Amino acid sequence: MSAPSVSLIEQMLRRRPLIDAPVAHGASQHLKRSIGTFQLAMFGIGSTVGTGIFFVLSEAVPQAGPGVVVSFIIAGIAAGLAAICYAELASAVPVSGSTYSYAYTTLGEVVAMGVAACLLLEYVVSTAAVSVGWSQYVNKLLENFLGHDLPQAFSAAPWDTEPGIINLPAVFLVMLCALLLVRGASESAAVNAVMVIIKLGVLVMFAVIAFTAFNADRFANFAPLGAAGISAAAGTIFFSYIGLDAISTAGDEVKDPQRTMPRAILAALLTVTVVYIVVTLAAIGAQDWTEFKGQKAGLAAILDNVTGANYWGTVLAAGAVISIFSVTLVTLYGSTRILFAIGRDGLLPSMFAKVSPRTMTPINNTIVVAVVVGLLAGLVPLDKLADMVSIGTLVAFITVSVAVIILRRREPDLPRGFKVPGYPVTPVLSVLACLYILASLHWYTWLAFAAWVGVVLAFYFLWGRHHSALNPRSADSIAADGATP
Amino acid sequence: MTVVVGYLAGKSGTAPLNLAVGAARTLGTSLTVVTIVPKPWTTPSPARVDAEYAAWADQLAADSAKEAGRYLDTMPHRPEVRYHSHAHRSVSGGLVEVVGEIDAQALILGSSANGQLGQVVVGSTADRLLHSSPVAVAIAPRGYREPRGGVLTRITCGYPGTPSSADVVTRTYELAKLLKVPLRVISFAVRGRTMYPPEVGLHAEDSILAVWEEQARSMLAELRTGGVVGDEVELAVVSGNGWDQALDDAEWLDGEVLALGTSPRGEVARVFLGSRGAKILRHSPVPVLVLPG
Repeated sequence: MSAPSVSLIEQMLRRRPLIDAPVAHGASQHLKRSIGTFQLAMFGIGSTVGTGIFFVLSEAVPQAGPGVVVSFIIAGIAAGLAAICYAELASAVPVSGSTYSYAYTTLGEVVAMGVAACLLLEYVVSTAAVSVGWSQYVNKLLENFLGHDLPQAFSAAPWDTEPGIINLPAVFLVMLCALLLVRGASESAAVNAVMVIIKLGVLVMFAVIAFTAFNADRFANFAPLGAAGISAAAGTIFFSYIGLDAISTAGDEVKDPQRTMPRAILAALLTVTVVYIVVTLAAIGAQDWTEFKGQKAGLAAILDNVTGANYWGTVLAAGAVISIFSVTLVTLYGSTRILFAIGRDGLLPSMFAKVSPRTMTPINNTIVVAVVVGLLAGLVPLDKLADMVSIGTLVAFITVSVAVIILRRREPDLPRGFKVPGYPVTPVLSVLACLYILASLHWYTWLAFAAWVGVVLAFYFLWGRHHSALNPRSADSIAADGATP
Repeated sequence: MTVVVGYLAGKSGTAPLNLAVGAARTLGTSLTVVTIVPKPWTTPSPARVDAEYAAWADQLAADSAKEAGRYLDTMPHRPEVRYHSHAHRSVSGGLVEVVGEIDAQALILGSSANGQLGQVVVGSTADRLLHSSPVAVAIAPRGYREPRGGVLTRITCGYPGTPSSADVVTRTYELAKLLKVPLRVISFAVRGRTMYPPEVGLHAEDSILAVWEEQARSMLAELRTGGVVGDEVELAVVSGNGWDQALDDAEWLDGEVLALGTSPRGEVARVFLGSRGAKILRHSPVPVLVLPG
């Protein structure tokens, strides 16, 4: 290998040129600017609802009491502001992909690696978190149908409040989704729409039934743990807004993005927030806030308590099992594709960017992701996972908001399909909102996050920067670089 | 040596006959038109029911031979043709037996009538043979006619790039040299379907497709550098949104044949079409030759 002829700083700040980027080409002509506001909002709702609301209450309510409603609003505002900034960045950078690709083409390699670390954390850990939530509902279904659930040893993580050995259903779900991805399965727009209807349907059903047991006295002690509790809960909750960025990444397919984009983001955000708040109000109205702690398959359990029978809970659990399955598939897909993009840029070993001839899918990295996600899902309890997801997402969102400002200053004339309304206030507010939530996260979450980013950056300095596809061409970098469109 | 074509009056259409004549002429062998008729009971019955049944079967065989003969007579420069009928409980089983008995080189079949003209549609008989035939199976698209000029113009070999598949290229290359026609080796690249909502952009699959195209190109180049094929062989990666588009984009010549390899499980050399091969076969606009593994 040739010795790098550029300095370290130059390496860290070099940006990927747009020419080599995987720009949409002939193969996806069917995607040309065809998405309208409604469809786009449905994407956002579809990918957001279901990542958290089915199980996050039992983690968040004990932290904030009934005031968790305010936490949802705070988290929603931060997510919405970030999604708007995200949309500008996505429209300014004519590459497809995730925050990682945008960061690489605008902010340079080392920032891109940092963002990649955040994103991997976000996707990998949220897949694990979501599959742990799924396992709770599967257990609930088993209990309602068969009269037994799985023994504690096989349905809980070793470091849970009630320890088990491994969370088998969660591991099973991850393996199943990985198998589907290896086989080249995908979730079409139609399936996505069906999933949205199922998710919203069971949540509405929950709210309607739970409101019959509504007792306003349960809100008397609104913020038993004070403002700190509310912002801490916002940190935990934040991950239930993950997926809103799906709207932003669809930018180049959208008709008239300047109008459509903010409308869709706003519509999705409002819908999602209203649904979350209604569900939360219904849940807290039906059950004292102190009872949430440690409750598994929370929403179904509340329905059982309210109705005194288990069929409504069964319906809800079935809806949750079906829709969380699709959420897991999508987030797992996201993680493999990000890893693929990093591998393609030469910042990870080229095995991550290898496509299997047999299935034409990236099998290697699907297996790696599935194993990591499976281990996390099997061994780490839900509350720890949720916080880790939020920290990764929040840091990625801050990067995006800062990138919008940097790009406006550095390249003011760059054509942008969509511009943030209310610039410079909006991105600054976005950063502040994210920082506010970040500040409330536990020290151990920060520690784990710092360790993870440290590992990724250390890998970059020791390995990645020597193998980047942007290095002066050596034989292996040409192989890793892929096709020029 | 001969080429066997399965033919049943009123069922097969003339496409397999067209392909069979072309194949026999190209290979310089005779053509055997085989009709599989139902097997009568061998136990004698006093009511002569079975005799009637046997007579009907004989009539079916004779009709088939006559019908095929009438059509073959209209064709210019046809090879030597023999007619053969064989009684068996299943058509596919009967064809396998006949192929073994008369030492055939290849088995020619038509598409099912339940498909569009110009497409290869695998019926139940062809499906079984694609998973059991001891010799190469060629399937004609529905409504196939002998190419103008009546000669094979090119062989295209589908190359998936899996470790065992270089063998197929080698054999097709030998066949092409034997028949003195050019060979083209194609690797197909099909884009994964877009996932909604993906959170990583709607183009994530494009970059996977691009990488696969690149990988396929270097695999094809390795065929040449590894001495599997010579310099005159055309190598191409053809991509599309789906198998249909990829096959459409491959630019077929009049008189071209697509050759696919199979990977049988087990020791016996026979045709066993895989799932990928089945997808390619379904969308091929030209006759497909499926080689035993």
